[in-house]
Amino acid sequence: MSQFAGIEVTAEMISAACNGDTRAQELIYRSYQRPVYSLIRRLIARPAIADELFQDTFIEVLRSLRSYCGDGAFGGWVRAIAVNKCLMYLRSPWHRSFAYLDADENEPIADLLIDAASGPDAQVQAKHDVELALASLPPLTRTVVWLHDVEGYTHGEIARLMGRTASFSKSQLARAHQRLRELLDPESESLPCTHLSTIC
Amino acid sequence: MHASIDHLLSLRDGQPVDAATVAHVDQCARCLAELRKLRETQVKLQSLPQLDAPSSFQEIQRAMARPANAPRRIVSARLVAALAFVTLTAIFFVALRDGTRTPVAEHKPVEQQTPAIDIIETARVPELVARSQQLEDLLQKLPDRPRIERVSTAAMIDTIEDRIQWLDFQLSDARDSGLNEEQTRRLWRERVELMDSLVKVRYAEGGVSF
Repeated sequence: MSQFAGIEVTAEMISAACNGDTRAQELIYRSYQRPVYSLIRRLIARPAIADELFQDTFIEVLRSLRSYCGDGAFGGWVRAIAVNKCLMYLRSPWHRSFAYLDADENEPIADLLIDAASGPDAQVQAKHDVELALASLPPLTRTVVWLHDVEGYTHGEIARLMGRTASFSKSQLARAHQRLRELLDPESESLPCTHLSTIC
Repeated sequence: MHASIDHLLSLRDGQPVDAATVAHVDQCARCLAELRKLRETQVKLQSLPQLDAPSSFQEIQRAMARPANAPRRIVSARLVAALAFVTLTAIFFVALRDGTRTPVAEHKPVEQQTPAIDIIETARVPELVARSQQLEDLLQKLPDRPRIERVSTAAMIDTIEDRIQWLDFQLSDARDSGLNEEQTRRLWRERVELMDSLVKVRYAEGGVSF
């Protein structure tokens, strides 16, 4: 379930923030800073870039409050801005020109994401493994699996955001799960990706 | 043959799947187990903890107050201290290694002045720091950038410099971030490679022969 769901921000608060009330702006920031940052960090593995995109997202949210017309959930509007920032970065020549530098690296980026004191050892280790597996996916594959499986985007919505087809989104999701399985459960026998036959 | 992962994902998400697939999965223990694992993976992803943002609201306000085109520089006291430490360490190693060597000629061909990348692959952190400093020195000796230059060259130089700045930030924060020696070495290796590229681009830009 999306981490943006269930966050309540009243219309009065949005209106006050829109009129420059810094207290209301801060309340909006406090309400959404964790889901926004979590989303960005799961899509963008590099912390320094994620931090910058986080700032850019909130600057745009607070500057564009007037353009939020009240249609749909406010959290969805905030989330759309964060997702767009990440996708713009992933599409940028800056990112692509340095993508090759990451090709041979298997940086344990997730080391930085899980707090060692956040639960029992086995539980922390399991979450650490999931973070690590997720971070090791190619950026577009990681984005598709996160948007679909966690944020609840449909394949059609992902396709529109990325300027691709729904089939592209589906194939990326399948690839992500295949890879996650290999990383998280290496001993299990994976199924061949072949069409169904009547023989089992 | 079993259901493909595409079919199982469609089943998991309640999307339309042909009746033959549904009938097969209902009767196949292996496909059912696979479907259960796909659901479990989704739950695992959804249960990852939320992360605290690095910026406070006051930082966002300060960033908003800056002009839209003002560049954001990530400079902190820690970064300055770390760079000072790195510089001193590098000077020490350079002095130790090249104490009796004559200074590099200003326009000596660049291959002779920059270390080979294959050596860098296996170099350790102190060596990489020293080489990074050598390249910094070399860069300092180059003529100033021309007032008029090609957009592509300027963009390339800016990109490399931005990346080096980002690496410096990462290295200054290495200890707090819990980076191990190998990770730190990789960052330094990348810095040396980028410095090497920067020197070569600047040479080419200045019309200095390779």
